Amino acid sequence: MVLVLALGDLHIPHRAADLPPKFKSMLVPGKIQHVICTGNLCVKEVHDYLKTVCPDLHIALGEYDEETRYPETKTLTIGQFKLGVGHGHQVIPWGDLDSLAMLQRQLDVDILVTGHTHQFTAYKHEAGVVINPGSATGSYSSINYDVNPSFVLMDIDGLRVVVYVYELIDGEVKVDKIDFKKTTASST
Amino acid sequence: MDNPLSQNPDSMWGRFFKNAELERMLDQDLTRLYPEPGSYFQKPGCQGILRRVLLLWCLRHPEYGYRQGMHELLAPLLYVLHVDVERLSEVRKLYEDHFIDEFDSFSFHENDSTYKFDFKKFSDSAKDGNGLGKGSVKFSSLGELDPRIQTVVLLSDAYGAEGELGIVISKKFMEHDAYSMFDALMSGAGGAIAMAEFFSPSPFGNSHFGFPPVIEASAALYHLLSIVDSSLHGHLAELGVEPQYFALRWLRVLFGREFSLDDLLIIWDKIFSYDNTKVNKPADNVSNSTFAALSSHRGAFISAFAVSIILHLRSQVLATENATACLQRLLNFPDDIDLVKLLVKAKSLQALAIDANNSTSPMIYPGFYYRSKSVSTRGHSLSLDLTSPRTPPNVVPDSYWEEKWRDLHKEEEHEEGVIGKLHKSRKGWSERVRLRLSRTESDQSSSKVGKIQKDQKSPVRKTLLKDLASQLRSDEDTEKTVYDGDIGHQDPVEVNGQEITDKNFGSMSEPRYLSGNAESEENSSNFSDSPSPISGSNGRQNDSGKSSIASNLSINENDPGPCGTTPECSTLPISDSPDELSLKCAQNDNSLGKSTMGMKERKFLSGKFQWLWKFGRNASEGTSEKIGACEDAKACIGGSVQNIVVGSLTADGCDSSSRISEETVEQNLMGSFRNLGQSMLQNIQVIEAVFQLDRGHTGPLENSSKNGFVGQGQFTALAALEELRKISNLLSEM
Repeated sequence: MVLVLALGDLHIPHRAADLPPKFKSMLVPGKIQHVICTGNLCVKEVHDYLKTVCPDLHIALGEYDEETRYPETKTLTIGQFKLGVGHGHQVIPWGDLDSLAMLQRQLDVDILVTGHTHQFTAYKHEAGVVINPGSATGSYSSINYDVNPSFVLMDIDGLRVVVYVYELIDGEVKVDKIDFKKTTASST
Repeated sequence: MDNPLSQNPDSMWGRFFKNAELERMLDQDLTRLYPEPGSYFQKPGCQGILRRVLLLWCLRHPEYGYRQGMHELLAPLLYVLHVDVERLSEVRKLYEDHFIDEFDSFSFHENDSTYKFDFKKFSDSAKDGNGLGKGSVKFSSLGELDPRIQTVVLLSDAYGAEGELGIVISKKFMEHDAYSMFDALMSGAGGAIAMAEFFSPSPFGNSHFGFPPVIEASAALYHLLSIVDSSLHGHLAELGVEPQYFALRWLRVLFGREFSLDDLLIIWDKIFSYDNTKVNKPADNVSNSTFAALSSHRGAFISAFAVSIILHLRSQVLATENATACLQRLLNFPDDIDLVKLLVKAKSLQALAIDANNSTSPMIYPGFYYRSKSVSTRGHSLSLDLTSPRTPPNVVPDSYWEEKWRDLHKEEEHEEGVIGKLHKSRKGWSERVRLRLSRTESDQSSSKVGKIQKDQKSPVRKTLLKDLASQLRSDEDTEKTVYDGDIGHQDPVEVNGQEITDKNFGSMSEPRYLSGNAESEENSSNFSDSPSPISGSNGRQNDSGKSSIASNLSINENDPGPCGTTPECSTLPISDSPDELSLKCAQNDNSLGKSTMGMKERKFLSGKFQWLWKFGRNASEGTSEKIGACEDAKACIGGSVQNIVVGSLTADGCDSSSRISEETVEQNLMGSFRNLGQSMLQNIQVIEAVFQLDRGHTGPLENSSKNGFVGQGQFTALAALEELRKISNLLSEM
């Protein structure tokens, strides 16, 4: 029952002013154990806000981040799963599954979380899961102007991970759920 | 869609988070339970059991949730079970044969239905005779055992040879037993007191007051205290000490925090021995407010025990000047409490509590303590305010003046024309009088006080005395009902009484003291002729956050018995056993004795206080508070001494006209002198306690000049105290 929040591409203050209020009211401290951020926060204040939601914060460096000391990629282990974080602008073509799978094999993780496309996607393939939480503020991207704010909450429970997707569509929060099961508890 | 961040509290995730919160609080509390190293409660086994039982109970009763304190209710229960199980296993080891279910010296395996009968073993053991255990003691029959061991063995008898109890205690079921016991305790098993209610913040359904049950129970406690010891109650109310400040802790954990575990177990034995069913009220007084907390024997005992604790700390509480110090005293118990005395006293108060609850009582509510301060022109008690003048009069025993007055009229019935006034036939009176007097020991004090002022004796009195003495031992409940019926008569009677007394006692103004009830309202209008001392004393009592003594004395504005017509019935059980009563008082635990003396002394002094008070007041206002109080007290006590003399003279004078033998008079006087001496002593003690406080506080703080002044005042006061001591010694020797 470990809850992991994955979000990114907020682009505060350049492209968006703040998270949508409905999202903010949901993200109360005390419920979430880990936060994974794909990058492009961009300012320190956002970093501090995320820290209040949960003190265990992992951030990857995005191209607009003002704090340049974030790592470009990061791996961590939660429960039985290995997670990897990257921003995604380095993976070309942006958002391509095969290229992302390459990165996943490179990092040797079960779950890879990247962003940059501002579009929620979640792919499952034989090596594991690739998740893109989209943009939590709904800020525009260079390839997409009309973006719905979205983020992802993962519930890691033993060998099973349940991915809840929260999207703000027409002012309402819509939740979707995807189930993934790890086939083997392999250590390689 | 149920998701972890859903705002809906009923969702699965919402409940998950709530339960996680519960577990966290629970774990926190458990780590703090009896944290001494090596304590039984910190062992992992015990902690595990506690955790599971509490979690399960809280999940089954989500409306209560987990509140701090529940673990402290469960812990002693588990401890008792644990101790019993250990004892059982000890006894088992020693007396193994009796526990083994052997028939013809075969032992049957408990769980093994396919046990193969081993002939070889059978023949072997048969040869050995009854196989001896590994050095266990061998008794040929159960009857030879120590009776306690016998009980233990029989309680484990699976075949229920002993009244078909089956196994009463077993290690396997310790957790189950603990859960059942805890559940019964919390839900009250259908009775009046359910501990769980004390933890709930919302008003309970049956509550007339609409307050959370624990607040209501605290108010019940105060109500009982006001009946038993109204000056102490008034003092607490003045300081603004609401009962729930300390009572919350007491009630929620059933005194678990105040006593050591062993003492606590004794107290709980007593509490749980009382039945928890609601005592049915005779009438249809649904609209009348009664305390749910008091409506069962167990509840009444709990409140009574709390009151007895307060009374034990009486002198310390009275000596405190502000609410914080008072609370400190109440919440930090001395270690040398004599538990037996407290329990005995509580038992005596318990009956009172049940009666008080059963009869009608005026609406009260928390916060009324503040209101009571503004009852200034009424001239009556501080304790209760009234929401409507219509509320029926309180059951509380009234001042000794009322009793006297009633006695007065009682006598009139029998010897008409002695006083020449009232005549209304009041058959209920004698009963009422008896009721009043039999209610609490404190009433007896008034009876003793009355001794001094009697003048009219009559043969009637003797019969009355006998009646009362018998009544004192009789069942209070029957009295109660009679009493209830007669309440209505009271007021007009009192009006007349007032007139009578006023006529006879010209100079002395005698406001009638009624402890906190509707009567006060109705009678106040009758007291037009004595407004000044009333208001004066009330003014005094209102602006005294001052010394407790002053407040004590001012609260009970009783008439000093004008040595005229005061009847004697209140002196009742006198002829039968004047000394018995005083002895009884002395033998009661200290707190009770003190409160008795205090009450009596107060009542006695109040009148003297009245006219001497005028002098004393002027003097006191010019000096520092404490000194003034001391002077007041001194004046009062001095006045009381004077009045004793006066009283004795009049008593002597009256003797000649009376028909009672002088012996009884003598005895009465002696007894009363002794009591007076004791009461003076107690007063002195209170003053000294005040002084000690004073010295403690003011010593380091004040500058030298003020010190000098205060020192002087202290000296004079101390000298006065010394003299009082001497007087009291003399009196007690007489």
